[in-house]
Amino acid sequence: MKTSLSKKIAVVGAVALASFAINLAPSAANAAPACAVGPVTSCQGLTSDGAPYVMQVPGNFNGTAFLYSHGYRYNVALPALGYPAVLNTPQPGPVVGSDTSVIKYLLSHGYAVFGSGFARQGWNADSGVATDVELINTFKTQFPKTTNVVAWGESLGGFMTQVLAEKHPELISAAAPLCMASPIEAELTMAGDFLWGLKTFFDPSIQGGNYKSATESLQDLGRVVALLTALKSSIATGVWPATTPEPVKAMLGSIPPRSALLLVGLMSGLPTQSAHFDGSTGPGSPNSAAYTNFALAGSPALAVLENGASAAVLAVLATADVELQAGGTIFDNTKTDYSARVDSEKAIYSAGLSGATATAGMLAYLAAAPRASADAASVAKMRALATIQGKINVPTITMVGVADPITPAGGSQWLANQYADQYAAAKAAAAKAKAKRPANALASIWGMTPAHYTKFDATGAPDTSGAAANGTNHCNFTAKQYIGVADLLAAAATSGSLPRPQTIATAARRMGGSVVDSKFQPALPKFFQED
Amino acid sequence: MFVHRSTKRGAFAVAVAAVAALAVSALPAQAFSPRSETGVTSSTIKLGITVPLTGAAAPGYNKVPYGMKAYFDYVNDNGGVNGRKIQLVIKDDAYSPILAKSVTNDLILKDKVFALVGTLGTADNEATTKFVNDKGIPRLFVNTGFSGFANVKKYPTTYALFPSYFMEAKAIGGYLADKFAGKKVALIYQDDDFGIDALAGFSQVGTNFVAKIPYASGSQADPTVVGTWIKTIVGSGADTVVVFGVTSASAAALGGAYKAGLAGKLQWILGSVGADPTTIKAVAPTALPLLNGAIAASFLPSPSDSADEYVKQFQEINAKYNKGATFDNNVLVGMNAGMLAVQALRAAGPTPTRAKLIAALNTQGSKFASAGFASLGWSKTSHVGYNGYWFGRISADGSQTPVDGAGKYVLYTTDSSKGAVVKSTITRPAMPEKGLPTN
Repeated sequence: MKTSLSKKIAVVGAVALASFAINLAPSAANAAPACAVGPVTSCQGLTSDGAPYVMQVPGNFNGTAFLYSHGYRYNVALPALGYPAVLNTPQPGPVVGSDTSVIKYLLSHGYAVFGSGFARQGWNADSGVATDVELINTFKTQFPKTTNVVAWGESLGGFMTQVLAEKHPELISAAAPLCMASPIEAELTMAGDFLWGLKTFFDPSIQGGNYKSATESLQDLGRVVALLTALKSSIATGVWPATTPEPVKAMLGSIPPRSALLLVGLMSGLPTQSAHFDGSTGPGSPNSAAYTNFALAGSPALAVLENGASAAVLAVLATADVELQAGGTIFDNTKTDYSARVDSEKAIYSAGLSGATATAGMLAYLAAAPRASADAASVAKMRALATIQGKINVPTITMVGVADPITPAGGSQWLANQYADQYAAAKAAAAKAKAKRPANALASIWGMTPAHYTKFDATGAPDTSGAAANGTNHCNFTAKQYIGVADLLAAAATSGSLPRPQTIATAARRMGGSVVDSKFQPALPKFFQED
Repeated sequence: MFVHRSTKRGAFAVAVAAVAALAVSALPAQAFSPRSETGVTSSTIKLGITVPLTGAAAPGYNKVPYGMKAYFDYVNDNGGVNGRKIQLVIKDDAYSPILAKSVTNDLILKDKVFALVGTLGTADNEATTKFVNDKGIPRLFVNTGFSGFANVKKYPTTYALFPSYFMEAKAIGGYLADKFAGKKVALIYQDDDFGIDALAGFSQVGTNFVAKIPYASGSQADPTVVGTWIKTIVGSGADTVVVFGVTSASAAALGGAYKAGLAGKLQWILGSVGADPTTIKAVAPTALPLLNGAIAASFLPSPSDSADEYVKQFQEINAKYNKGATFDNNVLVGMNAGMLAVQALRAAGPTPTRAKLIAALNTQGSKFASAGFASLGWSKTSHVGYNGYWFGRISADGSQTPVDGAGKYVLYTTDSSKGAVVKSTITRPAMPEKGLPTN
């Protein structure tokens, strides 16, 4: 592969941290914002909890303002990964790389944008939603012409957007939880399963949780990154990493390590397509043995590796952060049946898993391996953190890539499933009361992966230097996709209901790489499958 | 003025109504459908198929969709189905479940097909099942014998056509007991649901193997892997080898055995999935000396049996509509599925919907005409297709004749459960005139 793992992690970190800079002096907490009036009036200030915020309002403000909630930012500095300090830079809208065209588009069409950098980083849904609530009120006070507030956000910010819509529907007119994070227990179950799988098969020194200090978690992160780097060459050579436990070598040594890695990905719920690995393309002639072997056996494992590299930092640091908030260990797999977890996928990925016999051997090893247990009081505290029920109170649009490795598409599908019950009940009640049938209030847009996108260099080695494919990577949207959603949200906010299904489908098609179909339902995260 | 205007309006309205009535009377019945079904227009019905057109599993299987399309083109040239022409959208899945999922999504979401037909591969069909189920897409005559696909509850819109691998293993086991008692038999099988089904079938009828050699799908392309098969066979002392895998696996096994100097030393018995002589010859020309004399299980007549009315008709269609393609098992499979699909579409009526298509298969499908020698088992409670095999010997030219002599087809029929293997004779409806269904 042309791109190194550490470079990839650095890039992922940088993308996650992409922020919007604004050149105004900070003001005192909870004071009126300081504004610079111009063709676009720019204001900044601090909320009562110290979260810096920005507001941008065009001269032709049409009354609709977009509140943006940014995603997870690490709450520890990671200089080695290009994240030298914890950042709370406010961000008023989505940024694609360094491209702020989405914000510019909204401003040029008369919409205002605003958002904060939040008072704390890490898993901050409770404080983040409080900040958003205060910020909406501050914005309305500052700009009384405001008629509608549209809430949107990405990843953890998408989760906060949904919390806001469930708890304070009176404050907003439409919402878009984009690449929405699932409730924390579901997210950390995926992270915990992945880290436990790596530990069990490849490196018992990985902790995967129960961190006593930030230093301990960073050391563990170092081990995980080192292992993923080693696995990259293991996949190529078929030799298990040097850190592999002896019993694994003895029992499973004849199985390619790529198959064990693929199994870890499947049991965690990581996608088997990634930024550069489509799970179906090989090098050279499509009719060659090398092509078929790579496509069927190598590509899905490499996709898990690439997705794992994207998710590893967050998996370790979010676990450490929530453990800190909850007071102890929160990952528990004492009752997890990993064989049942992959039951429907064993046949599909048989080639990558090296056949049914090898799969059975690996699952037997996992079944007998020591498990991680959680502290009950800590789990209770974790569950008390801000969460969502899947209730839709305002017109809502979700959008996520089908191979998002950090917030799997199934998380947004869970929301759709929850709403399906609510909508069915509302329709039944309306029928009983002989009232008008209620309008559907949720549309799900899926970013689809192309059929083929893996590239190879002249030597036949996979080339990962290009841009991530549509539908892959975390919150990997184009400006066109954001703008398409924004237009739909603005229409919904104004009319009070979602545009017609055909209008949404047409918009999705025009965005490119996106579909809307109520029957297209990505698999739920493993946590919800067992719930 | 008002009166005059009103009169003119009235005359205009009458004239419009008269023209509308004329136009309506000229419309076909399907135009009155309250809401047209996805993939169906007044002049077309769109179907979709996924198969490996590239990759290790492509040789041979890549002919299935073109055989099917040739048959549809023939039907289209003869009036279509209730006035509609069938369009077949063909997608390459390279035998990759991930790609199968992607291209099936495209067939359903972008091409908006009415139904899927002949989608190939156990894992590939498994990978697409959730969306197919959720969307209620009829998935007709899957090109796989995985017994699970006959489960109506789990796969409500999927119809098996091949006898299940479980049945096939039982039939081969019954044949081995019948004709190869006392022989030392080794088994090469694909180590997934395909092969697991077979293992269960062999176990059911008590077939013993001196060696069982699993291979992960795709690994048959690796000469090192094939080398270990041959070593194991030789080490086991086997004199007979059953290959229960895809055609490329059969070709690899025969080619590897030839390379190891085993020509004439082993009796080969090939499962139906991997027994197309044309493909084996093309993929592994060195395998020919071992292919000559190999025995293969089949549920359709031999493609070289021009005395069979279906084969004869399909050969003619192939010559005209599938130019350049050698008529073989794969073309036959494609055309046979095409003929069944046409009957299913006709049975769904002049305004076909997905629900009507499924209802038609459940109530009328078991009576459809087809080239298969065994009866079809489709009903509301079962989506099992054929249930029996005959065994033929492959000759040097690749033709296949029944082991008991030309025209002497003996079927070994059974079920996917504990039922006995029963020798039977052919029972199938006569072919519709010129191969054009009129049901």
